[in-house]
Amino acid sequence: MNKFNYIQPKTMNETSNLLKKNSESAIAFAGGTDVLGLIKNSILLPKDVVNLKSLKGLAEIKYVPGREMQIGALVTLAEIADHPVIKEKFTVLAQAAHDVASPQFRNVATLGGNICQRPRCMYFRKESVHCLRKGGDICYAYNGFNKYHCIIGGGPCYIVHPSDTAVALLALNAKVSIYSQGKTRIIPIKDFFVLPDVDFKKENILTAGEIVEKIIIPEQPAGSRSGYVKFMEREVWDFAIVSVAAVLNKSQNKINNVKLAFGGVAPIPWNSNDIDSAFKGIDSSEESLKKVSDNLFSKADILEMNAYKIPLVRNLTKRLLMNL
Amino acid sequence: MPRKVVKSKYFFEHDFIETVGEVSTLKFPDWGKNDTLKYVGKPVSRSDGYDKVSGTAVYTFDVSLPRMAHAKILGSSVPNARIKKIDIERAKALTGVVAIYTHENCPQKKWFYDTTFLFDPHVRCEGDEVAVVVAETEKIAEQAICLINVEYQEEKFVTTSSQALNDNTPKVHDFGNILRGKPDVNSRGNVEEGFKQSDIIFEDTFTTQIVVHNMTEVMCSVVNWEGNKLTVWDSTQGVFSVRDAVARSLGIPESNVRVIKKYMGGGFGAKLEAGKYTVIAALMSQEIGRPIKITLDRKQMNLIAGNRPDSIQKYKAGLKKDGTLFAFTLEAKAAVGAYPDGGNCSGPFRGIYKCANLSSTEYNVLINAGRSRAFRAPGHVQGTFGLESFMDELAEKVGLDPLEFRLKNYSDVDPNSGRPYTSKFLKEAYQKGADAIGWYTKRKAPGSDQGYLKHGIGMATQIWGGSGGPPAYAILKLNRDGSAILLVGSQDLGTGTYTYPAQITAEVLEIPIGKIQVTLGDTDVVPYGPGSGGSTTTASISPAVRDAAEQMKNKLISGAAAILELPEEQLYYKEGVVQSKSVPEKKATIREIMQKMRETVLVTTGARNANPSGYAINSFGAQFAEVEVNTETGKVRVIKVVAAHDIGRVLNPKTMNNQFHGGIMQGLGFALMEERILDDATGKVLNTNLHTYKVPTIKDVPEIEIIIVSDGDNLISNTGVKGMGEPAIVPTAGAIANAVYNAIGVRIKSLPITPDKILNALYVNKS
Repeated sequence: MNKFNYIQPKTMNETSNLLKKNSESAIAFAGGTDVLGLIKNSILLPKDVVNLKSLKGLAEIKYVPGREMQIGALVTLAEIADHPVIKEKFTVLAQAAHDVASPQFRNVATLGGNICQRPRCMYFRKESVHCLRKGGDICYAYNGFNKYHCIIGGGPCYIVHPSDTAVALLALNAKVSIYSQGKTRIIPIKDFFVLPDVDFKKENILTAGEIVEKIIIPEQPAGSRSGYVKFMEREVWDFAIVSVAAVLNKSQNKINNVKLAFGGVAPIPWNSNDIDSAFKGIDSSEESLKKVSDNLFSKADILEMNAYKIPLVRNLTKRLLMNL
Repeated sequence: MPRKVVKSKYFFEHDFIETVGEVSTLKFPDWGKNDTLKYVGKPVSRSDGYDKVSGTAVYTFDVSLPRMAHAKILGSSVPNARIKKIDIERAKALTGVVAIYTHENCPQKKWFYDTTFLFDPHVRCEGDEVAVVVAETEKIAEQAICLINVEYQEEKFVTTSSQALNDNTPKVHDFGNILRGKPDVNSRGNVEEGFKQSDIIFEDTFTTQIVVHNMTEVMCSVVNWEGNKLTVWDSTQGVFSVRDAVARSLGIPESNVRVIKKYMGGGFGAKLEAGKYTVIAALMSQEIGRPIKITLDRKQMNLIAGNRPDSIQKYKAGLKKDGTLFAFTLEAKAAVGAYPDGGNCSGPFRGIYKCANLSSTEYNVLINAGRSRAFRAPGHVQGTFGLESFMDELAEKVGLDPLEFRLKNYSDVDPNSGRPYTSKFLKEAYQKGADAIGWYTKRKAPGSDQGYLKHGIGMATQIWGGSGGPPAYAILKLNRDGSAILLVGSQDLGTGTYTYPAQITAEVLEIPIGKIQVTLGDTDVVPYGPGSGGSTTTASISPAVRDAAEQMKNKLISGAAAILELPEEQLYYKEGVVQSKSVPEKKATIREIMQKMRETVLVTTGARNANPSGYAINSFGAQFAEVEVNTETGKVRVIKVVAAHDIGRVLNPKTMNNQFHGGIMQGLGFALMEERILDDATGKVLNTNLHTYKVPTIKDVPEIEIIIVSDGDNLISNTGVKGMGEPAIVPTAGAIANAVYNAIGVRIKSLPITPDKILNALYVNKS
């Protein structure tokens, strides 16, 4: 671990300026569950660690009935998992937050940090491996140990995005409010993430000095039900091998509308209108759902060790929709 | 105290060890079954329980001395290279750095059976020691490590046993990649003839992964010189092995080294031998004149602190139509890492079943990765998975129930030597285990469960060496108030060694357990005893403890006879009082006897008896697993494990349960999730932390039912213990794998049985 300065700015503007000025060597620090690992394993060698936790107003949950839910970037995953309104109206997010890591992590990990995590690719996380994402020449996973890597959207880097909450937020059509030097911009979460063929060194659109300040989730249509299913190799404390989030509207046994999002399959939280529309209007029997699910990701671009993710994502989707 | 020196043979970790050792020849009345005893066999709480639960226990990691400096190791970042240059100038200049050792300034001390040095300019695996920094604080030492610049001349490397056996592969050492230059071969009968006379011939191959011990407490030492005397606190399973290795490396008398280990956070075999780090710290401490604490970090624990070697096990069996095993071969390969160690997995194959014609051929192969070490039932864990998976396949071939097939080939004598066992209750373990899991009531045809959640039941057999053996000693020191101190030749691995010596002494002397203190793990204080491994500790030292206590009782009777002027035969001992059998008022208490004898402390030294000659001694058992496989996700959930074992006498059911719970959890991890991932392209280990190296969490642990089918085996020793640390883990993975097959009807032949393998079998590779 290298030596660094620990800076605790008091205002958003000061923070933004600090991060902008030292863009090459500064890192924003909230819950620290990812940043500490990156620093301790010498994946990042920041000179300045800029603590966001002294900033006012970023740790609030504000519900405007009929309009939206606002969740500050510093709200912890434990608070989200436990929040009565989120549990009732945005169930998928509460479930996704609850499925992250372990209680100790959830007590400190923040929503902003969770969607801004760096990838868990073992090559990226290996100090002495200089992979493409770290400025090297090749993606070692492409011909290497790629059991946990993406089946769609990959190239030239094949990571999967590790966030659980981002997948839920994508299914909820959330927006991200981003602050930078006195200005705020709000963008759909779908546009927040970046595929490696656009920029293989970053996972989102944030530029130097930009800070995620809150997440805004629109009120969901009346009668919506939502849920999150996360598949892990052990019962707890694991990143998603594959996860599926769904926000569903159905009348009796017919699916009117569904918005699906997928984790563990692509370098970004993945969704597609084609997938959503394939389920539109079908009945929610196992047979019908299986028929549609079994065609999902048929154009996937599998690597040597990750073909199993295709049946996995299909089965998880079917089972989630059956249970909603 | 009657003693003699005898030859004794016992099974330790990899193989049989023949020792010549002093043994006690005293004979005492056999103890009855546990229900006739007062302290032994009772669920006594651990004497170290309060210390550990309250956090007051001092582990080696917690030892702190005045003026202590801290050392950290820089490991190689590449798998095979010559060090061209090490630049330590920037590190040296960092404030707080005290000293730096590299191969350039450290005395050349040989290591790993003389195949390398403490610091070798040729690094042969990622993590091999390149430099050690001593600094005022651990943080400074870590920072200094980052400032050392090493220039490597990288060389080609080898990452798998199959690759290492090719002719044109880089050699890990000049002597080649096969240990001892040839395979280890064991055989009986005539295999060729056996196959000719067989009706059915079948073969299959099974593989297991490399798993890492990942015990809670990392390897660490604190070293301190006072004049020419070195004291070492080490997290070790063998205080004497560390003492001797350190003395040898430093070229000083063994009496100048004192090794202390009070409590430890696990070892599982990796801490049986002395570590380089201890010797390096001792050398540096001598140079700087200050105590040093040296600790490996979790990454180093996953790179260089040992592992269970992988295995490729190729079985071939010849059977008679009725299911009799008639010819059996095993060819196995194990990647043992960059330095010599054993990976033989044929023990269960050779030892469990009756088969007239059998042979095993085993290659221990060197690769450029961290060296393997003894790991809870070395060889047997991987071997039992392969053998018992194959046995289930054979049973199906001949149309027999797996249990029936095993009983058909049951051996009443040791199939290797033809000797009778001191005791064998494997049939009882099969029966009771089968009943408890519902073998005959719940088990269905493979894959026949309807729905996507499929249940299955499977089992596997366990064999392991039993008994331990001499030399092992205990010293009992009795005080006038009837309290006692036991100095036992052992160290507590965390398994309960602080507790049962007091139970045994209380049983013999009929004094309260609370009046007996047990001291372990200090080479200047305790008598000799073996390293804590191979399930031999309790079986070796508990008879020595009883020997010491019985001698103490006899000594008190002798003392009382002199005082009361009565022949010893007319006296008896009860609860600290020696009394005349005929004249009850003639009696003397411990205090009275010791006062008259002018002894403040009465001392006896007990020794282990010899193992009986002409017998084989083994522990046996069977585990039964019930699993639920989600065929949509490939996830295996273990619902229940029944462990039915013949382990001789149980001295303490509470610590026995602990051992089985731990062993079964570790076996479950081996079966389903643990795996060291070595990248073929870079030769580097990709998962070196406890997040990516997946051990089971408490939520992954099933219901566990433990059934002990044995009691004291009086042929072995005066306590009749066989040992259980290893039996607990041996059959778990085999039982789970067979249960998975029973659930889904497809056999996964490679561990760990991760969801991707099941999904590949059910969807991707489905023809």
